[in-house]
Amino acid sequence: MLKQGAGLAEEDATVKEPLDLIRLSLDERIYVKLRGERELRGKLHAYDQHLNMILGEVEETITTVEIDDETYEEIIKTNKRAIPYLFVRGDGVILVSPPLRS
Amino acid sequence: MADSALAGLIDTTISVITADGRNIVGVLRGYDQATNLILDECHERVFSTKNGVEQLALGLYVIRGDNIAVVGEIDDELDAQIDFSQVRAAPLKAVTH
Amino acid sequence: MLFYSYFKTLVGKEVTVELKNDLAISGTLHSVDQYLNIKLHNTRVINEQKYPHMLSVRNCFIRGSVVRYVQLPPGSVDVEILHDATRREARGGG
Repeated sequence: MLKQGAGLAEEDATVKEPLDLIRLSLDERIYVKLRGERELRGKLHAYDQHLNMILGEVEETITTVEIDDETYEEIIKTNKRAIPYLFVRGDGVILVSPPLRS
Repeated sequence: MADSALAGLIDTTISVITADGRNIVGVLRGYDQATNLILDECHERVFSTKNGVEQLALGLYVIRGDNIAVVGEIDDELDAQIDFSQVRAAPLKAVTH
Repeated sequence: MLFYSYFKTLVGKEVTVELKNDLAISGTLHSVDQYLNIKLHNTRVINEQKYPHMLSVRNCFIRGSVVRYVQLPPGSVDVEILHDATRREARGGG
């Protein structure tokens, strides 16, 4: 299955269902929102029907909200980290946003 | 295969981390495709930040696969070297799907 | 089947599996199955001070359903092959 395919049919650019849009984002940088206040930005290299994915040059952002002990104000903190290549399990994916096209 | 992954562990001591964050140690007697487990001579290792690890005897358990996160092979030699009365840590978090 | 096939090509490589309980475990990928259950050898838990729950474990089985991420070794990702396999799978080939 992972062998180099000879003579792939020309890519169909019509978008009929949600996964078609994701297919057109292959090799592009996408935005992924995940459960647990996590977000990813990275280049889409592979996906399947469960939205399992492999992303490259990934930046993960985790957002946490803390309540200040004295003022009871919400303090929003974001933690970022870079990961070269990441497999993401599809069951945690909330939404995928393709790159902006002009 | 899931089968071969646990096959070599029959009748050995394993450490199960459950989806709700508990740690159960016992002897694996059986398993199936869904990772349901038969665990004999079970002990729960209760972690806390205030006291050392407490061990609770539980007996024979069948644990449902959906509630299993990790199955670890216990290295008996390493395990014997650890003084669990001195190990302090917060319990593991529950798995959030 | 795409990711099952891909993970099979990573057997013997070093990966870090991050779970949905925030535990991160590094080790050598020993096997994977159709559910993407993962077996690691020579495991080390990241931040062992905070997570001493697996101190005497060297090999472990991780249920696929509790995996959040797998950090992949850069040298083992051939993006061209992944693109082709993904397009083939999207067409219902697999």
